[in-house]
Amino acid sequence: MKRFLLLSITALLLLVLAACAAPAPSAPAPGAEEAPAAAEEAAPSEPMVLRYADKAADLGTMDPHFAAATNDRNLADMMFNALVRYKPGDGSTFEPDLAVSLPEPEVVDGKQVWTFELRKGVMCHPTADTPAYELTSDDVVWSLQKSANPDTSAYAGEYNGMTVEALDDYTVKITLDQPISPILFFPKVADYAGGFIVCRKHYEAVGAEGFKTSPAGTGPFMFESYSPQDKVVLVANDAYFRGRPKLDKVEYRYMPELNSRELGLKSGDLDAINGQNESDWVARMDQEEGISVDVYGVGEVATIHFNTSVKPLDDVRVRKAIAYALDRDEFLALFGGPPVAEKVYSVVPAKFLPGGLTKEEVEALGLDYARDLEKAKALLAEAGYPDGFSLEVVSSERESYLKPYTSMQAQLAQIGIDLKITTVDHSSMHKLIRQDVNPIVVYVAWRPNADVYLTRFYHSDSIVVTGAKPDTNFSHYTGIDDLIEAARVEQDPDKQVEMWKEAQIKLLEEMISYPILYMNQVTARHDYVDYGHELKSVLALYPQFDETTTLSK
Amino acid sequence: MARYIASRLLLAVPTVLAVLTLVFFVVRVIPGDPATAALGDYASQEAVEALRERMGLNDPLYVQYFRFLSDLVRGDLGKSMITGKEISELVRQVLPYTLELTITSIFIGAILGVPIGIYTARHVNTSIDYAGRVGSLAGLSVPAFYLGILIMLLFAYKIQLFPAVGGGDLKDLRSNLSHLVLPALTLGLIMTASVTRLTRSAMLNVLKDDYVRTARAKGLSEQVVVFRHALRAALVPIVSIIGIWAASLVADSVLTETVFARPGLGKMLVSAILQRDYTLLQSVMVIYALFVVGINLVTDIIYSFVDPRITH
Repeated sequence: MKRFLLLSITALLLLVLAACAAPAPSAPAPGAEEAPAAAEEAAPSEPMVLRYADKAADLGTMDPHFAAATNDRNLADMMFNALVRYKPGDGSTFEPDLAVSLPEPEVVDGKQVWTFELRKGVMCHPTADTPAYELTSDDVVWSLQKSANPDTSAYAGEYNGMTVEALDDYTVKITLDQPISPILFFPKVADYAGGFIVCRKHYEAVGAEGFKTSPAGTGPFMFESYSPQDKVVLVANDAYFRGRPKLDKVEYRYMPELNSRELGLKSGDLDAINGQNESDWVARMDQEEGISVDVYGVGEVATIHFNTSVKPLDDVRVRKAIAYALDRDEFLALFGGPPVAEKVYSVVPAKFLPGGLTKEEVEALGLDYARDLEKAKALLAEAGYPDGFSLEVVSSERESYLKPYTSMQAQLAQIGIDLKITTVDHSSMHKLIRQDVNPIVVYVAWRPNADVYLTRFYHSDSIVVTGAKPDTNFSHYTGIDDLIEAARVEQDPDKQVEMWKEAQIKLLEEMISYPILYMNQVTARHDYVDYGHELKSVLALYPQFDETTTLSK
Repeated sequence: MARYIASRLLLAVPTVLAVLTLVFFVVRVIPGDPATAALGDYASQEAVEALRERMGLNDPLYVQYFRFLSDLVRGDLGKSMITGKEISELVRQVLPYTLELTITSIFIGAILGVPIGIYTARHVNTSIDYAGRVGSLAGLSVPAFYLGILIMLLFAYKIQLFPAVGGGDLKDLRSNLSHLVLPALTLGLIMTASVTRLTRSAMLNVLKDDYVRTARAKGLSEQVVVFRHALRAALVPIVSIIGIWAASLVADSVLTETVFARPGLGKMLVSAILQRDYTLLQSVMVIYALFVVGINLVTDIIYSFVDPRITH
């Protein structure tokens, strides 16, 4: 008996010992074979691999025009370029990307024309289906037309009224039926959503379905492999037009569990991770030796929208009463406050986008709705609801939604408003609120400019269910259409900003929606990870790994 | 024996069909829209509608059901609604990870649980017996994900003996084994607890039987009495519990694979639910169901070898 037990334990120990042995070194990166002669003579070194874990469960798609989830956007950011790009680490500045320079628009026959001169020598990634080839205006035109087609892009709506044509191999002309300012035009051709340029020959070789898991662009990293539920591996693009990346590879891992990502980072299995959007977590991780936490924009804005077409919210006094009963500090406390969550006073966040209202501006106008329960109760009584009323809402199960809803529930209870919350899964909530079931909607979103925010949330065409193009106008508001449309075609940036501000002042005056807070991005990394740029705000919602990113182990 | 196996196989057919039907409808009862989940809230309504059409979600439910059944009968699991990849290819890539985890865990559970169970039964009410009972009770009480995190903290973070996360490279034995140890230990320890308890109680019953006393009276050595006479009779419930645990380990692997960030069927199931990938979700559930049906079948067959009376 004892011998049998001993044998069993020995067998297990042997298994463990075999596993304990150091793993074999990874295969060198393909790019290493083409390294300069001097490097070949040097002693072979370990490939520089950055291992990053995101909170996603798996890949969705690597077609940038369908990339909606953060993890998919991150990969698109590393593999593709656009005509212009947001400066790495700073989403408030545009700079040329595939284009040689940022063009000035011309007006021809009442239409606005933007002419882009392309860089020469930009190479599409080589793949098993297509060899590397030079990107030309043919790829750019075809790619932007793909973005405008709802069958091949999720962002087709952004490209209505746009005509793209190639003047020669390196010149692309974009004509807009309706002139718009640079601040509204550049996001359409920037490295975000539909602006990414896809290599046509490869797309046509593998087809739409194939491209989702076998992409080819011109970015600093090329697709190497995809292991379902595990990782996507990208390798350095030796022919990248800004120079070969310092990293040999990026391992982009799918780890939805925060504990696993945290332990993976601490144990050294990972170099950087997507963190937790809570200030307590940031403080705790910052205390770990050799680990730093970066907190940066862009911040997704949480806003409360009131449906002004239903009773009792059709009465502005009721909406104002609710605003006076709410306290941004209480919402903020649920996320641990700054630096992760910060207060916001207009639907367009002034910190990240032109056209937003600052705290000082709102306070000066007396539209900050500082908490005043007596005033709230008086307004309710004046509106005919001295004892309050009941409302039923659905909330997503996600904390970013459920926390604001439950906090609002507790705060409104103090003025007699009984908010009944039904929790549903996130995707169902999106479906239900678009069917207009919620009299009050909490919505957390980032949009690339003030026009998109205002159009999609407050233009009458965007009213849920009944609008001409139903979208996310949950408040059924129709009062700022003229301002939104006038601002969209305004060429003077200062005047444009003033119009956006005016529109938002009107929203606050009529208390159409109550902006609560924005939540920044949180990433933790080992100190030896150098992203190569300062992190202020990143639209791709990760630290951005590019040719300058390196590991100084 | 052949007739017995054939009857078991035939019985599995309606079971599998019932499971397939249930899986198809359960998947569609899950709230949420795959097209919206895939494209996110920034996508235009036009694009969402176009995707729904391409996904075949606008077809009547019965059309989708018969398409699902006919594809399955032809051995075609279809394509993932989200990534567009062949599901058979996706499953082929992750199945080895789940199989190696399940098999190693069963191995650990059996190789530790049976001897500990026998030993504690033979030394009943001693300190070793008490320790075994407390240990197995603790093992049964601790959820797999929690034990996994504790094991990860100890062996990957404090001692740094094994990697914390990932599945390793299947082509590199060392890398693969080093990534397998901690998750296998997690599931194996939980199974050990159950097998230990059952083996102990089965052996306690058998050791009191007359034929065991007779064997001892005949002067047979204790080793022969325990292994040749008592253990053989106790094997039926032990095989039964190992079979049940093998099936539940497949379910436990969902949590373990998520905690250890290992690729596998469990993690695939979770991601298919999160992404509302109907085709992938129903395929993975079908594979799980077939797995359980298969394990039950194998258990039944092993029964018949351990105790031939069962075939009658």
